[in-house]
Formats: sequence, structure tokens, C-alpha cells
Amino acid sequence: MNIEITDVTRRFGRTKAVAGVSMEAGSGVFGLLGPNGAGKTSLLRMMATVIPPTSGTLRLLGRDPGGYGPRKEIRRRLGYLPQNLGYYPGFTVVEFVEYFALLKEMPAARVPAAVAAAVERVGLGSKAKAKLRTLSGGMLRRAGIAQAIVNEPELLLLDEPTAGLDPEQRVTFRELMRDFGQRSTVIVSTHLVEDVGAACSQVALMDQGKIVFYGTPDELTARGEGTSAAGDAPLERGYSAVLAAARSVTAARA
Amino acid sequence: MTGGDEMTGGREDLAEPGPGPRDVDLSRVWLGVAAEVWRRRPGPLERLAGWLLRSPGLARALVTTPSLLLGWIIATVIVLGAGILATLGTGTPFVALVAPAVAAAGIAYAYGPGIDPAWELSCSMAVSDRMVLLTRALAVFGLNAALGLAASAATGTAASVTFGWLVPMTAVCALALAAATVARSANVGVAAGIAGWAITVLSGQVAAGRLTAAVTDSALILPYLAFAAICGVITWYASRIRRGTP
Repeated sequence: MNIEITDVTRRFGRTKAVAGVSMEAGSGVFGLLGPNGAGKTSLLRMMATVIPPTSGTLRLLGRDPGGYGPRKEIRRRLGYLPQNLGYYPGFTVVEFVEYFALLKEMPAARVPAAVAAAVERVGLGSKAKAKLRTLSGGMLRRAGIAQAIVNEPELLLLDEPTAGLDPEQRVTFRELMRDFGQRSTVIVSTHLVEDVGAACSQVALMDQGKIVFYGTPDELTARGEGTSAAGDAPLERGYSAVLAAARSVTAARA
Repeated sequence: MTGGDEMTGGREDLAEPGPGPRDVDLSRVWLGVAAEVWRRRPGPLERLAGWLLRSPGLARALVTTPSLLLGWIIATVIVLGAGILATLGTGTPFVALVAPAVAAAGIAYAYGPGIDPAWELSCSMAVSDRMVLLTRALAVFGLNAALGLAASAATGTAASVTFGWLVPMTAVCALALAAATVARSANVGVAAGIAGWAITVLSGQVAAGRLTAAVTDSALILPYLAFAAICGVITWYASRIRRGTP
């Protein structure tokens, strides 16, 4: 298993962003769904070793990220696209991707070829030498994806990766996710239910810091059948039905 | 006769498809070409830094530090040049008074949480974000100290005064870095560093009746070092706790 999470919590002051999450994931594309403030980004940041959990245990790629050596090893094999990706406006696309390839400690001799492959893979070949400040939002997002995949990560964490991408680019990106999912663990946090339905083999739905559903997209769809849950597509209705059920349980307990 | 016949001399056996260009993976060839054309060749400074630090990633982080770029260095030289002229003209060691504030501003712009636009991403990298910050801060401090020493030598200031401002400079730089890290803003760091130094200089004027007391009074060395250490701890603590969006 590339990800083993046991009863993990994360607090920010008084706010409990993640409230006892347990999950395991091997190879494949995993969707992380949920409303705003559900705890998806916090969970992803813990998996990216950006923040430590407040309590619980986390093992990534068979290692404990709490130790300096194992954490460094995890980070070498990790690809991460944050929700709010900052850019160096004066860098070109290639310089940006190359910079992070070097910070991931890729062997320097391998970096130029890996950067070229990543830039081509996200369709930014024609903009390779363009400064980041001249690119559109969708292109910047693709530059962010390129830095995430440049080291052929074993664990790829993507927070809202399709935000700003046009429909054609989203289709291409789903293919890329499926391709990576054949040999790596890909975790995608998204609001877009159709991305999950098209690309993910497993899906976890989070609400109020907890995972309230874990299964396949088909199983999530089945939860919405025969209900009056809101949604235009079957998967959306499943999403709404699970959320409504989880919230009614919480309200009853309260 | 066609062009193809001309190439093969009309011999059909030579025109047979074989392991020639048809089997070439053009996308692989293009990637090889693109890698060569697009790659950023490190300059001598970056190669030297990579060799010294034994990390190409740290070396790249170092040469892309805003306050180590040529424009900033030129600005620093101009400010210290003005200090030299003022010192020579008035007899007051203005270089010793200006150098700490210039260095503090450079340290605040050395990148850190809130200053580096890609800080979140940097926190997930194998090369530690704190190592990047430390390397950049040390490089900026070292460069500014060297420029300040050269400026002091140009004014003919006594060695004790020349070295007198290095300790306060350490304290002011530590204050700027701590403020920038806590406030997650380089501009706040710059403001704190310059304001802190101005208060120190003016306090020296009030207490000892000399503007230069802040850099000439040896009794201040220990308090400066203690203050720098406290600021270092604050910087370490502020960069340890990562504030996030729930």
C-alpha cells in the first residue's frame, strides 16, 4: 500500500479540519470529493508532508514521514499540485519545472529530458520558453501539473487540478491521470464530480473532516438511485444522497 | 524517373523498407532535441555553488534569490557609495550606520514563508525549505558584509568601527528575517529591520550624545548577539508551525 492512514486528525487552532480519517490506497486513481471546508485540502497537505497530523499515524510509500530521512525519501518520489500554486512570474515554464525537479533531488543529468517530457505531456511545448507572467490561468495550472509529474512520482497528489482547464484539456488530463494510475497512486481532490466518474477507480467523500463514503464511482451512483437527491447526473445524485444521509446522522446525534 | 528512383538508382532491393527512418520514434527524437534546446545551462556561479553545497537544487535556489540578483546588488553598491561620500564629506561614519539597514532589507527579501510565492510547494520538496532559507540568508548576509567592509575600507574608517557594525548588522538582519517570517511579508521584514535600526541609532544619540554610539559602544555587543539569537529562535519557530486553510 502506498498510503496507509490510521485515525488521523489535524487541528488549526480550535478548528478540527480532519477528524479521524483512516484509509488505504495502492495503485490507481482515487478521487477525494466533498464540499468546501470538508477537510480535503488539509488531508492532501498531510499526505504531501507539508503539515504533520495532530494525531494518528500516516505511512506514505511504506515510510513514516515523521522522520527526516524517510520524509526526504518520500518527497523524492512525490508529486504535489497545491490548490493555490504560487508562481515565480519571471521564470519561464521550463525554468519553473526544472527548478522543482532539482529541489526534488532528481539526478542533474536526467533533469533536461524529464523536464522536456513533462512540458510536452501537459501540452505546453509551444510555451516552453514563455515567462509564467504571460500565461493564462489554464496554462499556469498545466505548468503546475508538469512540475508535479516531472519526477515520474509514485505518489501523485493533485488539489483541484482541472480548475481553469477547458473541456478538451480536461479530457487530456484525465487520460494522463489514468496513465499514472496504472503504476502510481494518484489522489485527486476535486469539486467536479464528472472528473471522478471519468478517471477514478475509487472515491472517498469527505464532510466535516470525516470520510462518509468510500467505494467505487458506481457504488456512489447507486446510493442516489431511487432518492430525491439533488443533481443533474447520477453520480451527482449519489454524492448529494450520501452527504444528506451523513448530515442527518450528525444532526440526530447532536 | 521519380525522385525516389533517383535516390536508389532504380534498384528495387534498395527501396525495400528496412530499419530506417520509418522506425524512428519521432516524439522521442523531439524530446531529446527539446531537452537540449530548452535546458538552462548553469553559469559559473551556480556551478560553483552546486559544487560547494553538493546540491544542484540549493544552488539553483541560491542564484534565483531576489536580493542576490544583479539589480539588487547594484542598488546596494549605490547606497553604500552614497554612504562613502557622506562619510568622507562629514567625518561621521555613515557607512557603519547605513550598512546594517541595507543588509536587513536584503535578508528580508531572501525568500521565506509568505515571501516565496511557491512556498507551499517548496515545503513538499526533498531539499528542505529551511535549508533553502538558511542558505539564502547566509549568502545575502555574507555578500552584504563583504560590500560593507569594502565601503568602510574606502572611507578609511578605523578597523574597530569597521567590525563594530558587523555585530549590530547580525542583530538587525535577524530581526528583519524574524519579522518577515512571522508576518509572512518581506515588506514587513524590511520595515521592522529599518525601524529597529533607526530606533537603536537614535537611542544611542539620546543616551550617549553620539549618533555612532550604536556601532562604537562595545557594551552593546552582548545585547546585540542575545537579540539576534532570540530572533533566530522566533524564525525557527514561525517556520516550524505551518498555518493552513482548514
